Order: sequence, then structure tokens, then C-alpha cells
Amino acid sequence: MTDTASSEARLGAATASGDRSGLVAVARLLFLALILALWQGAVDAGLANAAFVSTPVSVVKSLWSLARDGEVFPNLGTTMLEIALAFLLSIVFGIASAIVLDRLDWLNRVVSPFLTAFNSMPRIALGPLFILWFGIGIASKVVLAFSLGYFIMLLSTLGGLKNVDRDLLLMSRLFGASGWGLFRHVRLPWALPGIFAGLKLTLIYCSAGAVIGEMIAAKSGLGLMLQSLSGRFDVAGVMALILIVALLVMAVTSLVDLAERRLLAWSKGSTDV
Amino acid sequence: MTPVDIHVRGLDVDFGRGRKVLSSVNMDVTQGEFVALIGASGCGKTTLLNVIAGLVPVARGTVTVRERKPSAGRGDICYVLARDALLPWRTVQGNVEYGLELSGVGREERAQRAATYIDKVGLAASRDLHPAKLSQGMRQRVSLARAFAVGRATYLMDEPFSALDSQTKLVLHDQLLALWEQSGATVVFVTHDIGEAITLADRVLVMSRAGLGVVDEIKVDLARPRSAEALQADGHYHDLYRRTWTALKASAA
Repeated sequence: MTDTASSEARLGAATASGDRSGLVAVARLLFLALILALWQGAVDAGLANAAFVSTPVSVVKSLWSLARDGEVFPNLGTTMLEIALAFLLSIVFGIASAIVLDRLDWLNRVVSPFLTAFNSMPRIALGPLFILWFGIGIASKVVLAFSLGYFIMLLSTLGGLKNVDRDLLLMSRLFGASGWGLFRHVRLPWALPGIFAGLKLTLIYCSAGAVIGEMIAAKSGLGLMLQSLSGRFDVAGVMALILIVALLVMAVTSLVDLAERRLLAWSKGSTDV
Repeated sequence: MTPVDIHVRGLDVDFGRGRKVLSSVNMDVTQGEFVALIGASGCGKTTLLNVIAGLVPVARGTVTVRERKPSAGRGDICYVLARDALLPWRTVQGNVEYGLELSGVGREERAQRAATYIDKVGLAASRDLHPAKLSQGMRQRVSLARAFAVGRATYLMDEPFSALDSQTKLVLHDQLLALWEQSGATVVFVTHDIGEAITLADRVLVMSRAGLGVVDEIKVDLARPRSAEALQADGHYHDLYRRTWTALKASAA
């Protein structure tokens, strides 16, 4: 038995040693350089028209001028506020609804076709209606982004809560766990990987919802700027703004990843074979 | 005379639409006794255990554990499942503490008692590992440590070693015997492995295939403390094995 144990330990060690982060960082930089070189090269060689696809150099120049003008910052602030509100509302209401639907099976059976119906609607197409209902300010964008994020959070949490290992629940109950104890010690930790997967998707959809909402009609926001830059065929400017949104989402995602690595350290390597 | 711990009289159990699983089953287990229940699969031995644990309702008859009706989550009964049921997000230490935590033991005492029992099952070096990094046998040892750390009067075990190879089983048998002898608890141990039943128990109860409950009883008069490995070469152990085998064959007929 000690033999099996040590061979299993070796298996784990072998996969852990494959994590050479320095090398990965260098490879990533090389990959980025390759893409930029291909892009710039295609334009320089006349294979692509800079008026349509811009160039890395012009995108960087646009970024710089956006920063220098300072016009981008209040707009960025608006968009960040909308994303943050929608993200938080999606997390709170999505997880809370999932917990309620998990505990009340009859309610789940009553509302699940309606949830599917709402979730099947193209919410982006409802954007103009949301603006009609909630005004041209940030409320309409938060609602649009929330309408996308809420369902993702709800469904991924519910999925995690639904397939809890029955033996863990039974064992806990036989040791004397209360309903709250079962939730805190078994159901919630079991659902955590699903919740984290949902968080990352929710963030992406909330940011898309906010920016698209601003593109429809807004007083301020990156979407509004995007709309006016693309009206002027400023391809480099559009790309620079999209890059800002992407970097913003990536930065928050990496925070979520960090939390996930700390909270889900136990699951690391458990699917290695 | 030692007091009766588990008392089963005229027990009937049915799983709806009159499908009888057990009918008029009688069984008595005295305090501090180690009883093994064996029988062909489908004979209702796990059902009987679940009735005593309060997981399956009694249709007719009486079942008492220390003069009280069974109920799931009773503070004086510990049930060990066939699967180890370790929480994957807790370390070995955390898993052993879990049972104590649910039993309302304070933080400091919890950590101390868990460490003691992890030591007893020989896993001190693996205390900070998560279950994914453990072998089957190690996981089941954690499950045993978790069960005995809470120190309850009655232990119900449902084939906890059925997934292990025969070498590993012998090690686990010795550890279970050591834990039990120190605890003074009553144990009802369900198994389909005759050797395991004789190695561990004071009495082996043979259940009939027809769900009529206990049809035969073999008293295991092997001296304690026992060593699972030494028993393999013991003539009397093999006599008992043959007798149990014959009884099991007869019960299935």
C-alpha cells in the first residue's frame, strides 16, 4: 500500500514540475510579437489596407492621444461603474436565486421554462427597449448587462449545487450536520468551481452588455466614444478603445483567477491521469 | 450479564407497494460487542444496518439502540459508509476534524484529537495532504480516524473495506481492531467477506437470502488482541471459515 501511495505521489510531482512560469512568459511575449509583426507586415506588403485594419503602430498612437486628451477617462469611469454594478448584482442575485431554486425543487420546476425563455431572448436586441424604460443614463446599461450576467451566474451556480455527492451529504447528516451545516460544509464548497467558471463568463457578458448599451444611446461611456469614432472611420481609435475594455476585463479576470487558485487549491491536479 | 445495546424484534421492512425486504428479523447485540453481518448480496444486511441508523423506517416490530428509537444524526451512533466520503477540499487533518466539528467539539480540542487519531492510523506524515493525493487504503484510514475520533457508543459499518485489495485489508483490519479495543464501543459490521467477518468479530450473524434475517450464528472464540496476518496461519481460524462458509451456503439454499 505504501507503494501505491508513493507512486501516486510521484505522479502528482511529475505534473507539478511541468509548471515553468518563466518560460511560459517568454513564449507569450514571442507569440504577441509574432501577431503584431504579421499585422504590420501584411499592411506594409500591401496585402491589407491600413484604412480598414489599421496597424499596431497607429493603434498605439491612438491610445497615446486618447490618454493625452484625457477625454477617455470620464467615459472609462462610466463604463467601469456600469460593469461593476451589473457584475455585483449578477453575482448576488444569481447565486441567491440558485440557492433558492436548489432548495425548493417545486419552484425550480415551475420557473425553469420561464428562465429558459428569458435566457433565450437576444437581450442585445432588447437594448433600445431598456433605454426607453430606464433612460439614457447608466441604469439602462446596468439592466442590460445584468440581464446577461444574472442568468449565467444563476445557471452555473445551480449546476454546481445540483450534482453534489450524495455520500458527502449522507455522511455529514449522520455526523449530525444541520441544514445550514450541509450547505456551508458540503453544498457551497462543492458548487465553488461552477461559481468561479460562472464569474469569469459573467464578467465578459456584463462588459459586453454595458458597452453595447452605450453604443445604442448614452450620455457618457466607452461605447459612446466607440460609436462616434467608428462614425468617423477612425479604425485605430476603435481598436484602441476595444483594447482598453479587453485589458480591463483581463485585469479583473486575473483577480478572479487569483482567488480561484487560493480557494480551489485542493482540486489542482485531481483530474490529472 | 452485559446490557443489550441494539435490540431488534420482529422487524419488517418494505420498500413500498408491499415489497418486503426484511420480515420478522430478530437480533440482539450486547454492549461492547463486535458483530459481523454476512449474507448473499440482496439479503437485506445493509437495509438492517440502515434501520438501526434511522435511515430506513420500520414497518412493523421494534428496534431500539440503548432503549431509544433510531434516528439519523443521533449523537451516540456513528455510521461508516462503504465509500470513504472524504471532503475533497479538506486535508486529512481537516477531514478528521470535520466529524468533531459537527459533534460540537471546540477548536483546540478538535485539532488535538484529530492529530491523535491520525497518528493512530499511521498517517501523521500525510496530515496536510488532500484526499486526491491519497491511495484508497489511506482514504479509508482517514475515514476510520474520523469515525473513532468522535468516540461514540455504537459504530455501524457498511462494507468499508470492500474496495480494497486483500493485503491492504489486513492492515486496515488491525487498525480497526486497535481503534475498537481502545474505544469499548459496540460495532455492527456488514460484509460479504467471510475472512474479514471472522478476523474482526466476536460473533458472525448469517442472514438468509430470502430476507428472513439472521438464520445462523457463529461464535468466534479467537483470542484478542488479534493480528489479521497471524490469523491467516491459524488452524482454528480456518475451521471457523469453513463453518461460516457452510452456514452461508445453507442460508442461500
